[in-house]
Amino acid sequence: MTATIALPSAQSLRTRARAMTVLRLVAAPVIVVIAVSLLFWWISTLPLDSIEQRTLNPAYIEARIKEHLLLTFVASLLVAVLAIPAGILVYRARSAWVRGIFLTLGNIGQATPAVGVVILLAIVWQTGFATALVALVAYSFLPVLRNTMVGLEQVGSDVKEAARGMGMTRNQVLTRIELPLASPTILAGLRTALVFAVGTATVATFINAGGLGDMIVNGLKLQRYPVLLTGAVLVAAIAVLIDWLAGVVEDLVRPKGL
Amino acid sequence: MKRQLAATAAILVTTALLATGCSGGGGDSGAAAGKGDELKGLTGVIGSKDFSEQYILAYLTSDLLNAHGANLTTNTKLVGSANTRQALIDKQFLGYWEYTGTAWITYLKNTQPITDPQKQFDAVAEADLAQNSVKWLDPAPLNNTYAFAVRSSQAKKLGVKTLSDVAKLPKAEQTFCIESEFSTRDDGWPGLKKAYGIDVPDSNVKLLDTGVIYTATQKGADCNFGEVFQTDGRIKALDLTIMKDDKQFFPVYQGAFTLQNAVFEKYPKIADVMAKLSPLLTTEQMQELNAKVDVDGEDPADVAKQFLKDKGLI
Repeated sequence: MTATIALPSAQSLRTRARAMTVLRLVAAPVIVVIAVSLLFWWISTLPLDSIEQRTLNPAYIEARIKEHLLLTFVASLLVAVLAIPAGILVYRARSAWVRGIFLTLGNIGQATPAVGVVILLAIVWQTGFATALVALVAYSFLPVLRNTMVGLEQVGSDVKEAARGMGMTRNQVLTRIELPLASPTILAGLRTALVFAVGTATVATFINAGGLGDMIVNGLKLQRYPVLLTGAVLVAAIAVLIDWLAGVVEDLVRPKGL
Repeated sequence: MKRQLAATAAILVTTALLATGCSGGGGDSGAAAGKGDELKGLTGVIGSKDFSEQYILAYLTSDLLNAHGANLTTNTKLVGSANTRQALIDKQFLGYWEYTGTAWITYLKNTQPITDPQKQFDAVAEADLAQNSVKWLDPAPLNNTYAFAVRSSQAKKLGVKTLSDVAKLPKAEQTFCIESEFSTRDDGWPGLKKAYGIDVPDSNVKLLDTGVIYTATQKGADCNFGEVFQTDGRIKALDLTIMKDDKQFFPVYQGAFTLQNAVFEKYPKIADVMAKLSPLLTTEQMQELNAKVDVDGEDPADVAKQFLKDKGLI
């Protein structure tokens, strides 16, 4: 009995790898477009009562999506601006105390339910966009902080020594060697934070900060499931799209050769 | 070794039993003084939605029915009207307290309420029995409808007593805090604006969660007028004044005990027992009981038990 095992040639392997990359790039948007189209087609076949018509109309949905995206992006930007420097600081300080304090703060931020934070802040401080931002930033802070620290720690000491030996200052080592080498890990953290923020931004509805949470809560409380489903599917679609977009950006900005 | 393990296990089990016995609150039957045994054999779970009034009503009901021979427990752990209602439909709950307006709009999918309380109750009771086999017992007088409240000092300053007065205020003072749900219902914001001719820009209207509305109204930074529930104990505690619905726009949200019709048919005496309690539950009485929980921090189970004892019902 003889069996022949066909080994794929190098040529076909390369084609397959390229096909996988294309698939990875195209799959997410295609799935999102199909899911959202199906949703809107299904809703267009439903007889909507006056309660549903007040939310299931283009102007309302567009406004909620804009609010949601604004919250997500501003929060992610703030997280990047705050958590990456914090991560660098913790790494440079090389003190167990500083590390402990920042990691604990990040852990607390993420462990506290965002709904609780939002409502508490609304009661003791104020309602609105700024409050929702604070809660979102607190919630998405940890992944970026941790990934920055871990990314920097992973840079080999031989590489750093070589750089120092070439006469680079500590800051030059940081900006030219350590940060570029740590960037894939840091970007992965940011990507996680973005996706967290999309989901968490739904709680903004409780404090007059809008977003797609408006539709989810409204549909849930009034048992108008088309409204609830539209809100939920749109949040999921945005999360998938943003994850996809962040993946593309990661590929583009990753230093060559890594 | 084996014996030691067994002893440890025994201690653990005893502790667990003691612990559940202690923390059972008013949910268990046992201790209630007997007032009859016409409901002997009736077992099941009385449910509630997730706010104080509902907890109190659930304990009132289970304690009262248990005093008449039933053996019921109380489950106040579900969140939201929709889940509680689903638990009744799925026969997980024997019954719970529901409001006519909620059932009419939310479960029976109507958009226009009926103004007359009795007609609204009859319509709901008939439709719910026919469509979902849910039996509505005679309602309590309490009306937990929507209302707009304002800080009492601000009400004096603005000189407003009714919603018509509010509609006449300068636009800068016509600021409102409402819930997301209220913002789209016909018997909520859209209808109210039309009925009273309120015409304000969207920026005058803040969408907040129910709990946040009370404190926001008290602070007065977000809005002058907050959408509240009429029976809420916090209205008095936070020194808020209710604006009279002088055009009778809001529908009636009368409370009534709803239960599986099959259970009702087997134990029709439930209606007679509940009829001893329901007429006592007026809007003012409910506000008072709710305040004991929301403001004074008492346990809903204790508040219910004390009320029943005071009225000689258990």
